Amino acid sequence: MTDPVLALNGVTKSFGPIEILHGVDFALHPGEVHALIGENGAGKSTTMKILAGYLDPTGGQVTWQGKPVAFKGSDQAEDLGIIMIHQEFNLADHLSVDQNVFLGRELRRGLMLDHKAMRAQTAELLGQLQCRVDPGMPVNRISVPDKQMVEIAKALSRKARVLIMDEPTAVLTERETEVLFAQIERLRGEGVAILYTSHKLGEVKRIADRVTVLRDGTMVRSDLTADVSEDDMAAAMVGRELSDLFPQKTFQAAEPILEAQGITVPGVVHDASLTLHRGEVLGIGGLVGSGRTELAEAIAGLRPRSGTVRLKGQDLPGNDVAQAMRAGLVYLTEDRKGAGLLLDKSLRENLTLGQLDRFGSPLIDRKREETALDTAISDFAIRAPDRDMAVGDLSGGNQQKLLLAKTLLSDPQVVIIDEPTRGIDIGTKQQIYALIARLATEGRSIIVISSEMPELIGLASRVVVMHAGRIAGELVQGAVTEGNIVRLAMGMDGHEKDSAA
Amino acid sequence: MRKTLIATTALMGLTAVPALSETIGISIPAATHGWAGALNFHAERTVARLSEANPDMEFVLTTTSDPGQQVSDLEDMVATRGIDALVVLPFESEPLTGPIQRIADSGVWVTVVDRGLSQEGIENLYVAGDNDSFGRTAGQYFADTLDEGAKVVVMRGIASTVDNERVAGFEAALEGSGIEVLAMDHGNWNRDTAFGLMQDWLSRFPEIDAVWAADDDMAVGALAAIDQAGRTDEMFVVGGAGMKEMVDRIRNEDPTVPVNVTYPPSMISTAIEMTVLGLTSGAPMSGEFIIASELITPENADNFYFEDSPY
Amino acid sequence: MSMATTAPTRRPRVNLAMIAPVVALVVLVLIGMALNPNFLSYANITNVLARSAFIGIIAIGMTFVITAGGLDLSVGSMAAFVAGLMILVMNLLTDSMGGGLPVILLGVALALFAGLAAGFVNGILITRAGIEAFILTLGTMGIYRSLVTWLADGGTLSLGYEMRELYRPVYYGGILGISWPIIVFAVLAILGEITMRHTAFGRHCAAIGSNERVARYSSVAVLRVRLMTYVLLGTLVGIAVVMYVPRLGSASATTGLLWELEAIAAVIIGGTLLKGGFGRVWGTVVGVLILSLIGNLLNLTDFVSPYLNGAIQGVVIILAVVLQRNTGAAR
Repeated sequence: MTDPVLALNGVTKSFGPIEILHGVDFALHPGEVHALIGENGAGKSTTMKILAGYLDPTGGQVTWQGKPVAFKGSDQAEDLGIIMIHQEFNLADHLSVDQNVFLGRELRRGLMLDHKAMRAQTAELLGQLQCRVDPGMPVNRISVPDKQMVEIAKALSRKARVLIMDEPTAVLTERETEVLFAQIERLRGEGVAILYTSHKLGEVKRIADRVTVLRDGTMVRSDLTADVSEDDMAAAMVGRELSDLFPQKTFQAAEPILEAQGITVPGVVHDASLTLHRGEVLGIGGLVGSGRTELAEAIAGLRPRSGTVRLKGQDLPGNDVAQAMRAGLVYLTEDRKGAGLLLDKSLRENLTLGQLDRFGSPLIDRKREETALDTAISDFAIRAPDRDMAVGDLSGGNQQKLLLAKTLLSDPQVVIIDEPTRGIDIGTKQQIYALIARLATEGRSIIVISSEMPELIGLASRVVVMHAGRIAGELVQGAVTEGNIVRLAMGMDGHEKDSAA
Repeated sequence: MRKTLIATTALMGLTAVPALSETIGISIPAATHGWAGALNFHAERTVARLSEANPDMEFVLTTTSDPGQQVSDLEDMVATRGIDALVVLPFESEPLTGPIQRIADSGVWVTVVDRGLSQEGIENLYVAGDNDSFGRTAGQYFADTLDEGAKVVVMRGIASTVDNERVAGFEAALEGSGIEVLAMDHGNWNRDTAFGLMQDWLSRFPEIDAVWAADDDMAVGALAAIDQAGRTDEMFVVGGAGMKEMVDRIRNEDPTVPVNVTYPPSMISTAIEMTVLGLTSGAPMSGEFIIASELITPENADNFYFEDSPY
Repeated sequence: MSMATTAPTRRPRVNLAMIAPVVALVVLVLIGMALNPNFLSYANITNVLARSAFIGIIAIGMTFVITAGGLDLSVGSMAAFVAGLMILVMNLLTDSMGGGLPVILLGVALALFAGLAAGFVNGILITRAGIEAFILTLGTMGIYRSLVTWLADGGTLSLGYEMRELYRPVYYGGILGISWPIIVFAVLAILGEITMRHTAFGRHCAAIGSNERVARYSSVAVLRVRLMTYVLLGTLVGIAVVMYVPRLGSASATTGLLWELEAIAAVIIGGTLLKGGFGRVWGTVVGVLILSLIGNLLNLTDFVSPYLNGAIQGVVIILAVVLQRNTGAAR
């Protein structure tokens, strides 16, 4: 075997007082595809960012061709040929495809930009990827898979020696995935070292030569892919007893409280129906982009829709979030910073924003607001050094708790929680899971949307899985397993049941 | 020049157009203050009257609010309307000189109104008020009526050549009279600005004997401020340009508004009429036509009062 | 994965940014006292405050519009148009009704309604037709300006003599030696400050300006609140006109010229964020006073050439804002 081109030796990383990578050893070899897998929050992104120079390690060493190196930012790493393709695209929306591909390294003829050459080379790169996007098209007008292809083209154009791909196939169709794999194999043949992450273990088994599993910031195993089965990988990833993390499920059959029939949001959700019972925790699974969030937003009155939503037998109008909230149905967004909280405002102002009419009219009673905040801080165990601080300065976990407090302030009967624990440490996760269970025992009904399989399995007694904007099937009790969810999420027929119970 | 005109008309005659058909372009500043408003009023009225009298004559009237736009307007007139004559009140002298020169060179008759171009000999006809005389007439009245050592304040217009000429004329007339100018500032030909400026001067100076406001709009503002301060009996105000309201007060021998100085906006009518006359009759209308400012007094005020003018 | 939790940074509670406009105002007053003994005279203070009232009343409304992430460039033209309309109609009514108090009351009602309607037009086009506030109000700015020029036939609309005398005390009169414009301005400023800080409407404005999506997801009626800010501003323009017309009894194409920029400048000097999300009415009041004091000081002295008045104003505006931005929390 060749010597590693880029490697981590005993690397640790801390954010503030919290260490999230505990002594990771990891090596990338020329001509090898190395898969890095693990649950959300296991430390994959942090590992990749350290490799690509976006983050400095707190302890340990990064080596380049056997010599220790300390990157001064990602630019320096990029100069060496270490290219990272981010999950959230790094594209300038208003620039054209070719301008994006050559951004920062524009080809010139004398003083002028050589548009013709850049456009031609971009077309050639996209041709290799069998992507039929016009290089002159602005990026904001191309589809999400095409954006992924443009990112890959951008990486290819940089003559990468190390290519780091963060879940590149999450948004790609099967056919596009095949094209991508062909390119990966070609690059491997050319001696490029490739780091590949994916939640799709089948893909990992197929494309990777070597697989490393991270769990809670620790490397739990690293083997040749040939030596491990998919089950081994999953077991290594999960590793812990789920019962430690999730509270007891207590659901008893009860009457329906929310009935959504034939919900359609043009282009994203097609004829989706679901029923939620009193005191129930219903899970919605599916891949990112399968229409889960859009379905929830349509039900909660945040999007125009067709179809009917009945809450306690009463019809809710579409696209009227205030009405839904008054009726007792609320939605907690997955986009905490973009749609959930006003980052530059204080805790108090965020907490009461949606319910100001309950705090006095015409003048707001500041004292009652402060009392409500006191209650929220103790009920939700929010840790804020200063109650007048801007919410943007809180940690992610405390932000999420505040968002929960804010959403629950209206004392709703039905709560839809989208990604309840995204980007949150394990301790807070547990608190949030306990809270969800408590809400259910209080007789409230909860829908949990999540990309994390253990979360769905641990919380929900029933799981609806979406695929490509449709309800692909429904799983109950013992049938709620990772395998079943994945099968439905991938659009493989199986366990289909009439979802309109 | 003359020749070209005759040639044009000759050609027109050949192409079976029985009567003389001419297009006259008129470009003046937009009605952004009273005087310009009156200018517009007179221009429109004259165009309406002349159109009726000469059915074959076409008039293109444009108003502009800045020099750049005026240049574009002139280019459009030449390019799309094929004007035979141009009556123009240049927004500013410098930037308009070049464009107007090119129009003149292309054989179009050019009448320049009020604001002279920065080079001589471009226009065929120049019709203008006399800014120096405007200031001098007012200054002369001050020198004649005020005692030595009297204190006056001067409210100027928007900083421009016109304003400078007027103030220079005023100052020249005061020379040697022993009248003290306490302060001089820009009221920008605007009532509200003048009101505030006058209020502040009234706070600042315990004694003011007279105010010269180089335009009646400013005089209106100044008078309101003086009235508010209750110092009406202390001073008089001389404006300029013969606003209806002011002329009326002079007619009624209001001691606060004893006289006014003309700067007739109707000069645009004169300019248009002379241009038309020049085109239709072939009479020699070239040259300069300067309309001096007159002093409006209670005796002659009736001659300067126009009931239906907006100004 | 967003594990990068930054340590919470504490912000000082009272910082210079908070009080920078007040400091600037105090400095201007001190300069005024030093330069001219008449500066603090009753007459001068009354003049300055009363003159500030029009822009001030408009700037109060502008504070709400800007806080909610909007902008209105049309207010100066709108004021001229409403004033022109008011005078025209009052003159017509005088002819038919023979004048008297009813004519004034009708004129006042018309001005308030016309302002409200004009603001509503701006707001409805911005919120429902989705036109950028900047470009839409740039458009209506031209429209209102042309309309008043047209109403006035290019000249000046003047209120009939009898009406002018009757209406005059609304600007020049007062109670307890305080003139009406000052009283109205002060009352509106207090109401505005309370509305901004202590009502749901004010809170919603700040939320929308801070992050419109968050506001929408929190069930704030974003479009309605935004529309209401323009309606409020229009109504305040109407009130400003009611106070303005009795001063000179006339309106022309130059009435209210550049008022929109003065109002916006006052709002920003006062500490409201131009991009929205945070606004304070008391700051706006201070901003308006700063702007009028500069003009007043320059008129009271021969300190600088009148040609440089604009430059002095510009420098003070920039200084006032720089002081806030540099010492304030970097947001």
